[in-house]
Amino acid sequence: MDNREEREVLLKVEHLCQYFKSGSFELKAVDDVSFDIKKGEVFGLVGESGCGKTTTGRSIIKLYNATSGNVFFKGRRICAGLRSYKEELKAERKKLRSPDADKEAIEARIAALKEEIKKAKKDQKDCDKMYKEARVHELTEERDQKLSSASESEKEAITAEYAEKIKRAKRENLVTKIQMIFQDPIASLNPRMTVREIVSEGLIIQGEKDKKYIQDEVYKVLELVSLVPEHADRYPHEFSGGQRQRIGIARSIIMKPDLIIADEPVSALDVSIQAQVINLLNDLRSQLGLTILFIAHDLSVVKYFSDRIGVMYFGKMVELASSDELFKHPLHPYTRSLLSAIPLPDPHYEKKRKRITYNPLAEHDYSQEQPTFREVCPGHFVRCNTAEFERYQEMLKNE
Amino acid sequence: MEKKLAVDNLKISFRTSNGKVQAVRNVSFDLYKGETLAIVGESGSGKSVTSRAILGILANNAIVESGKIVYDGQDLLKIDEESFHKIRGDKIAMIFQDPMSSLNPIMRVGKQLTEAMLLKNKARRRESRKTFNKYAAVLLQNMNEATALGKSKASVEENKKLIHDFNKFEIRHIHLEADYNVCREACRNAIAAIEDLLFEIEKNAVSNLVVSCNEIAGYAVHTIGKFVVEDLSFREEIKQFKRDYHAAAKKKDYSVVRKDLEAMLKRLSEAFAKEQPNFFGLGFYLEFVGKEIPDMPISELNAYTHKILDEKFMLHFIEVARIALENSALKSFDAKKQAIEVLKQYLPVFEKEQLDRKEGENAIKQMNAAVRLTIDPLVLLKDSRSYIFESSMKSGLEKYFRQIQKNESEVKRFEKQSQKRAALVAKGKEPDWQLIPADVIDLEVLRAELTDTVKELISSYEQSVNCGFQSIKEETVVQVVDFLKEKASGAVYRVTKDMAKTKALALMKEVGIPDVRKRFRQYPFEFSGGMRQRIVIAIALSADPDILICDEPTTALDVTIQAQILELINKIKAQRDLSVIFITHDLGVVANMADKIAVMYAGKIVESGTADDVFYDPRHPYTWALLSSMPDLDTNEKLEAIPGTPPNMIYPPKGDAFAERNKYAMQIDFEMQPPMFTISETHSAATWLLHPDAPKVQPPKIVTERIERMKRAGGEQNG
Repeated sequence: MDNREEREVLLKVEHLCQYFKSGSFELKAVDDVSFDIKKGEVFGLVGESGCGKTTTGRSIIKLYNATSGNVFFKGRRICAGLRSYKEELKAERKKLRSPDADKEAIEARIAALKEEIKKAKKDQKDCDKMYKEARVHELTEERDQKLSSASESEKEAITAEYAEKIKRAKRENLVTKIQMIFQDPIASLNPRMTVREIVSEGLIIQGEKDKKYIQDEVYKVLELVSLVPEHADRYPHEFSGGQRQRIGIARSIIMKPDLIIADEPVSALDVSIQAQVINLLNDLRSQLGLTILFIAHDLSVVKYFSDRIGVMYFGKMVELASSDELFKHPLHPYTRSLLSAIPLPDPHYEKKRKRITYNPLAEHDYSQEQPTFREVCPGHFVRCNTAEFERYQEMLKNE
Repeated sequence: MEKKLAVDNLKISFRTSNGKVQAVRNVSFDLYKGETLAIVGESGSGKSVTSRAILGILANNAIVESGKIVYDGQDLLKIDEESFHKIRGDKIAMIFQDPMSSLNPIMRVGKQLTEAMLLKNKARRRESRKTFNKYAAVLLQNMNEATALGKSKASVEENKKLIHDFNKFEIRHIHLEADYNVCREACRNAIAAIEDLLFEIEKNAVSNLVVSCNEIAGYAVHTIGKFVVEDLSFREEIKQFKRDYHAAAKKKDYSVVRKDLEAMLKRLSEAFAKEQPNFFGLGFYLEFVGKEIPDMPISELNAYTHKILDEKFMLHFIEVARIALENSALKSFDAKKQAIEVLKQYLPVFEKEQLDRKEGENAIKQMNAAVRLTIDPLVLLKDSRSYIFESSMKSGLEKYFRQIQKNESEVKRFEKQSQKRAALVAKGKEPDWQLIPADVIDLEVLRAELTDTVKELISSYEQSVNCGFQSIKEETVVQVVDFLKEKASGAVYRVTKDMAKTKALALMKEVGIPDVRKRFRQYPFEFSGGMRQRIVIAIALSADPDILICDEPTTALDVTIQAQILELINKIKAQRDLSVIFITHDLGVVANMADKIAVMYAGKIVESGTADDVFYDPRHPYTWALLSSMPDLDTNEKLEAIPGTPPNMIYPPKGDAFAERNKYAMQIDFEMQPPMFTISETHSAATWLLHPDAPKVQPPKIVTERIERMKRAGGEQNG
């Protein structure tokens, strides 16, 4: 794990905010969340229900339009919220009205902001198109390079090969490289479709018409998730809970994703079946080199499965660290209370376990200074203000 | 410890269009008072079916094939629906898995909480009044009989007056106590609310001063009453407090409000700490002696009213009642002697090889007439055997004659089926269906049940006759007085909507719901999952049950909420001394909760023992598999998932049901069902691995390592 620093950042979330309006009241489901996921890593997102874990996942995959903040995937911006720009614009314009303002600087800033908004809108809308163009461009260049150095006889084969590749690249969307596995395997599968239809649906929507290719792909992924090709013509109700979740996984990996957002994939399953699914995800990860954003509330599973863990509380990220570090040195009081709530199959330990309750009012004094997200030690981030920051560093030194 | 519930050899199956699904197969366990029994198993292992059978809410297509569920001396599988109403919800309550589907979505939470209380109260009032009247009438009749026999000196009129007076001042007492309780409850609530607000002010985080203060003022007004806050100037103080906080809310200056609150807190705490008066004596005093409550400290007042009550009424009443009870008991004693004769006379009718329906029915009628006379209506601890004698004999007889016909048809069916199979085999085909054996029940067993019932009754009567007649002691009479007191109070104890609301609010607070007054008026969809589950628990607790059945109460909740709910159930269990049956598929959850654990698989208990037995020394391969399939914080190796799925219970496997998924399975596992091997006094498991001839097998590495680790950690903590 030492080379993590050098690894490419696959997904980068910057100050993501997702607000929902209900009447005049605005619900801040996700409020200023930032993190990044490196290639090949499993990033766990934990927190109690209603804290915005699922919303974060859904915003990343563009099921919601982000209110503000950016999401970069493979270096491209896929989500761009406008709220923060608009608010700044408003403030700048207000400044303009006061008599002793530096008009030129402000106007320059306004123009820049307008430009930003325009760019964000374009990114938000055309990220797939731009990705396709770039892919095609890349492939064409690669082909030309090969053609220039190839002999006359090979040229035809290369042209044919690349024609096929470019055809597929034209259909490829950037966002489909992110796939999602849902929590409830019963509700997320259409009961009136066979497994073959469910699994191949993504390919067909993408425009794939080659029946042979689709069939091969379906059988291949079914095998990957330890189902057999005979299962392809059955309906979801004929499967047990664990097998249904496997179908959900097959449906997502057929798109050859780079990132999988697993939204509580094992919470609805029996303990014995949970182990099957976790083992399967672990195998797939090593076989296909997947990157996984693992959303769950069961901390022992998250600890077992993830490399790094982010803890969320009421829409805010309160602590982020590698999983060993987080469990060894939990700093934020909410993380401590979460860790103290894990039940273990050990009666003596359980009889002694004292749960720590988290009361934000009693724990923090934010009347002087509002908290921000700070790095306490390398790779370990906590949301705190200066006083707390010093206290946490002291605590780490003492341990 | 007192045994609360005993499940014995329970066997339940379901009729389906594909065949009979055997959901529960020969399950037995005992539940003691104040104990938690956890039933652990995969979905479909029959855990929920067992719990539903205890509550009598099985689906329509369920067949209870055999077994007993004994609660409070009654077999819950045999009693009628009418008597089940008194047990279900009242004595045994259940918390369901999905809080959303067990709440009514179109009713406010408050109404759902109070509805049952109001309805139950109405029924209880009616029932208490009926019992009281009936009991008083029997008592009066016995008093008069005693007078007629010359045992008692009291005259008939005097007897009548005694009962009448008792009723009258008892009602007075209840009204006094109810008024007092309202004030005291308001006092308790006000103290809690003031403490909360003071905490908020101190932390500089007052969310809404006016709302909180309004609430406090509302409580405080209700605390003014006799024996609580007796000083009427408190009303002025509250008015001043109202003015203060309205001003403070405008100025955002809390210092004045704080001072007011502290003063109020001091006063209320003092009032709350006051001694409780004896309302029983006070009720008598107000009804028959004086009009006003005498002006003296509460302890003196208690002694004084108690003395008056004893002198003027109670001693006399107890003496007369004692004679009446003795009279009644003597009658029952004589009846028992005769009943023995009658029972013995008719016993041979059921000992014949072929029973005759007419003769049997006649015998039951004659015997019942004698048994009825032995029932002493004034004894509080009822002997259920005499009461249910008739119904159990009748149903036993009915079952016997029905089984004669059923056996015939079963034998016919089996013959036909086996012929068909033989024909197919002769043709060289392999039929894909199994031969279902004839379901024949030995008639001899059914007949023995009948004679046993009679013999049991005879022996119990003989026992009490041999002991000789025992005169009634004074304590028994005091018990009777208490009983009458309880019934009289039940008859007048009217739960108003306000009281129900107060109780519901208190319950909601007990289960940890903040801001109860606002929450009371909300609909279930406005609650989060954990809060909803708390409401369901509050509803289950509203009837003060003895046994709480929790059917996967935390499966739909996340870790912190799960821990909270578990703690809540543990706390309530300790406070109310409840017995809990906790059903779950997650072994991690139970470690903290359970005293005893039963692991179920395919309708059978495969391992049972105390929590320590099962976690530190698991013996059954299924328990190993369950333990090894869950990661804990120190697990790094690959998890060992249980391969495959549970067997189809329409055709339960011939041998051990777990054999197919078990990597330690031996040949015998596929051929014969293992018996329950006893490992220690508390611990037993059903696996052939425990047979003396079996090879020694080590549990999977992941399990042994974890146990090793846990023991080490435990040792470190202890040492």
